Amino acid sequence: MPRLLLLALALGALGCAQPRDARFASASAGPRYFGDVTPPADNTLTYNNGAEPEGIDPGVISGQPDGRVARAIFEGLTTPNPRTLEPEPGQAYRWEVSADGLTYTFHLRPGLVWSNGAPLGAEDFRWSWIRVLRPETASRYASFLYPVRGAEDFNHGRIRDERQVGIQAPDDSTFVVTLAAPTPYFLFLTEYYTLLPVPRAVIERQGPRWTRPEHIVGNGPFVLRSWRQGDRLVFDKNPRYWDAARVRLDHVVALSLEDLNTCVNLYKAGVVDWNPSGYVPSQFIPYLREYSDYRGGTYQAVAYYSINVTRKPFDNVWVRRALAFAMDRDAIARGLLKGSRMPWGNLVPMGYPGYPRPPGQTYDPARARDCMARAGFPGGRGFPTISILFNTSEDGKRIAEAVQSMWSRTLGIHVEVLNQEWGSYLQATVALQYDVARRSWVGDYLDPTTFLGTMKSGDGNNRTGWSDAHYDGLLRAAAVELDPEKRMRTLAQAEALLLDQAPVIPIYHFATSEMVKPYVRGIEDTPLDVHPLKYVWIDRGWSRRLAAAR
Amino acid sequence: MAAFVVRRVLLMIPTLWVIATLTFFMVRLAPGGPFLSERDIPATAIRQLEKSYGLDRPLGEQYLTFLAHAARLDFGPSYKYPGRQVREIIFEAFPVSLELGAWALLFAVLIGVPIGVIAALRQNTGADHAAMAAALAGVSIPNFVLGPLLVLWVSLTWFLLPPALWEGPQSRVLPVLTLSTAYIAYIARLTRGGMLEVLRQDYIRTARAKGLPERAVVFKHALKLGVLPVVSYLGPATARIIMGSIVVESVFAVPGLGRHLVNGAFNRDYTLVLGVVLFYAAFLMVLNLIVDVAYTRLDPRVELS
Amino acid sequence: MSAEALPPIASPPPAFAEAHQAERIRSPWGDAWKRLARNRPAMLAGLFLLWIGGTAAAAPWLPGLQDPSAQNLVLGAAPPSASHWFGTDELGRDTFARVVYGGRISLLIGLVGTLVSLVIGVSYGAVAGYRGGRLDELMMRAVDVLYSLPYIFLVILLLVFFSRSILMLFVALGLVQWLTMARIVRGQVLSLKQQNFVEAARALGAGDTRVIFQHIVPNTLGPVIVYTTLTVPAVILQEAFLSFLGLGVRPPDASWGTLVSEGARLLALFPWLVLFPGLALSLTLFCFNFLGDGLRDALDPQDRRDVG
Repeated sequence: MPRLLLLALALGALGCAQPRDARFASASAGPRYFGDVTPPADNTLTYNNGAEPEGIDPGVISGQPDGRVARAIFEGLTTPNPRTLEPEPGQAYRWEVSADGLTYTFHLRPGLVWSNGAPLGAEDFRWSWIRVLRPETASRYASFLYPVRGAEDFNHGRIRDERQVGIQAPDDSTFVVTLAAPTPYFLFLTEYYTLLPVPRAVIERQGPRWTRPEHIVGNGPFVLRSWRQGDRLVFDKNPRYWDAARVRLDHVVALSLEDLNTCVNLYKAGVVDWNPSGYVPSQFIPYLREYSDYRGGTYQAVAYYSINVTRKPFDNVWVRRALAFAMDRDAIARGLLKGSRMPWGNLVPMGYPGYPRPPGQTYDPARARDCMARAGFPGGRGFPTISILFNTSEDGKRIAEAVQSMWSRTLGIHVEVLNQEWGSYLQATVALQYDVARRSWVGDYLDPTTFLGTMKSGDGNNRTGWSDAHYDGLLRAAAVELDPEKRMRTLAQAEALLLDQAPVIPIYHFATSEMVKPYVRGIEDTPLDVHPLKYVWIDRGWSRRLAAAR
Repeated sequence: MAAFVVRRVLLMIPTLWVIATLTFFMVRLAPGGPFLSERDIPATAIRQLEKSYGLDRPLGEQYLTFLAHAARLDFGPSYKYPGRQVREIIFEAFPVSLELGAWALLFAVLIGVPIGVIAALRQNTGADHAAMAAALAGVSIPNFVLGPLLVLWVSLTWFLLPPALWEGPQSRVLPVLTLSTAYIAYIARLTRGGMLEVLRQDYIRTARAKGLPERAVVFKHALKLGVLPVVSYLGPATARIIMGSIVVESVFAVPGLGRHLVNGAFNRDYTLVLGVVLFYAAFLMVLNLIVDVAYTRLDPRVELS
Repeated sequence: MSAEALPPIASPPPAFAEAHQAERIRSPWGDAWKRLARNRPAMLAGLFLLWIGGTAAAAPWLPGLQDPSAQNLVLGAAPPSASHWFGTDELGRDTFARVVYGGRISLLIGLVGTLVSLVIGVSYGAVAGYRGGRLDELMMRAVDVLYSLPYIFLVILLLVFFSRSILMLFVALGLVQWLTMARIVRGQVLSLKQQNFVEAARALGAGDTRVIFQHIVPNTLGPVIVYTTLTVPAVILQEAFLSFLGLGVRPPDASWGTLVSEGARLLALFPWLVLFPGLALSLTLFCFNFLGDGLRDALDPQDRRDVG
């Protein structure tokens, strides 16, 4: 069996061999890079965009891959700062906010055009935002516009007249938005892809196929040249973009890669210049940290277990508390995940300036057993077998198995682990057909309400059945509170209540895990993992610059 | 001959209808639906989506509408990728899968048939066992191990070939190699069996007795009939290789048809799944027909029934 | 790569059946056994399988075998050492133990799944072949239709719609393999039913069921045994494929397929996690296939090289 033997020997040799990296940049002792660092000959950025985008209609889509593409083709009133994500002038060059915080007046730049030359004005924004709110559009993020007066009612069909919504375009270059209540993060929302303008004429003519490369028209830094499903999207620089002078990339290739190992392999081989956060198997992170082209940073996302409080025995708060105290976050984040994640006992992640974070849930096995006894199951006796649901993914499984072991040992109960594929998993969480489920949530904008709002009674993202009038009241009070400090304190109170009642058990805080080749410039560390491609460029002289600097 | 072909083609229609019906109802049995997502979608939005896809109509009506459109080869837009028609997804992915599968089968035949012939000629000797062992090694190593292994060595350690993607002739090598290994085993086995069968026939003994050199015996007389099992196998094998290459497509990022079936099932993308299943069934039947016709050309003893 | 792609067995051995009805002057089974015994590699393969099967079956009672579920998060994935011969996985579990217990599950899945397909396939094929006529045509048409459905899709639906219990896995895996078995058996039965011994049985008043199951089926045993031996590895491989898709056995149980598909993702980092389960899996699959081919050769009485 020669072939088999050879294979076995080779595999064995592999086990003993160190991973080698060829073609380093500087031969001298200096920063180490992961794989090939030869820059492309032209100004083309090739990056991994992740899963195939379901669509690129900015008003309808959700998800990072879709959003990245939409942001390349369209631009909103404001555009995010490449480092802080603060809203900067985009299609609007200045704006005013009224004293009561309810009226925003945006002034659009003169001479704006779509990529096909048609003029772009305030009416385009008005039409696009109304379109998002129209029920028949079925936009997934219509709720982002709910701060606008009349928007929620219009979206739910309670009012039919679009003129009753607080969005007006009094003239070509002025766009006025009237809010229902002061919303400090409203400007952040204007840079979100849902609020990007779309070309009315093209949509009305082409219908759902308007995003095809042969039809699509945008106002952003790039135009879509071709799109091959499951393979790649190719963009060219948009010469009609108002800030085209600042765009230094001629082409962008966005690959649609599913397999995480493939992402890393292509990056190593030098085919991919930028591997955004999350597209690296988490087991690789402790090893990739050695390399200079690996970037870890904070990311506003938290992983947690949600508990279905509509099922016994989880309706008993002492049971939930017991499970929370028995969760050894440290062992998971530092032990199992080798420090690639941070243990985290809060629902709201880091990075919200001015937010007085309440103390998080802690690991305390003695108290856990105590709570279990108080719940009526001393030593775990009489406690039914419970199951942890997760969707098929690498991290989900090992964490679930670790928690299963933890809870069994600490509380003396029987825990099963159940993985389901995506469709079944979603169905189970939405329909409350689970015991404990792994969940995670990513912040949409830089405010704690993006997390706390998900646990409101009846919120579609709640999916635990938990409903607390006091909690809802605190959130409502914060919504109308004008004093920012007081508002943050109220929100912190709400979180403290949530953590005590424990319908969710936070486990760890996500971190970004990006890989960026040394010759790619303009990709900065941002809190929400948003990287406008407008500022990215290829620095072919990077190694010279590096050598000169030393 | 013509009558045979026509009859077979006509028989395809009721079979496809049965498959369409089975799949239509099966796929709706799975829990969950096409519009669930991690982020909640407002109920109004879901209702809208269902309306635009006709999912709010009674099931019977949906079924009839589906049949009417399917007859025109119109499977509608994919649920998961609403800007795309199922038809165009299939037509974009199919040529890639076809190319991948064709190369893999070609390679498998080029390696497998000689192995089988050698094994048959030297039956029960060391050469036979060694040859078959080599072939069987291919079916004993799962693709999702072989693929990453090849990538690790060939691409990332020796930098000989690209690790993934489907661009240029160099990128074809590893996926084709990975995909073909299992088929080498089957083809070698079939060839060996077929050759053994043929080599026992009286007319072969006669040819040998008449003093014909072994080469002529094997290549002129035995081989043509000995590979018949391989020929009839190639039909379903082609269909399966095109549909079943999800592992290779995933590891090597090849934009083929296999993953549409698997992902479609996971995403509850009803239209895409139906389109792909019907396409696969039709393709399989056409291939079987071609194979049966080819069979008669090769083996004059066989009649088309 | 499903086992439906397996080739049909070479033509049925009519001499076999007639020998059976004779007074066993020369036992064809004995002949077959002798032929097989002469095939050294096949015998070695068979011995290996017995050894692996025995170890897997005896796993819970093997002294010194660690608990495959005992976690050690601090240790994490460690390469092979004196205390962990095959190293540990990311949760610090002993890989050697997991490979042994994984064998239990994989072999169980292979055997039971094959059994399911055997029972369904043989019955179906025997009935269709024996009855013939319209019923046969209808039944085979149904097989054709089922053959045209992409297997993966069926299995996904089954596992998704029903539970993910190991029972469902058996059913799902067995449900696809039975098609080819049915075809083979039917082909056999079609030729067998012309034989004298069948007429004799009917003349003695045996009903259809008796004739089918007591007289005909035993004569199909040769090809059925061969095909069964070849189906087991196919089922095990299919389960590995399902594990790759995330549809395999439920955690914390792990079959070889689970171990291999998880290990393959970590090939560059922790090669021992795929090396050892992979070797176990590959060697076992290899031996089953090799043995099956050897059996086929042994049971084929037309091998003129056999003297005696």
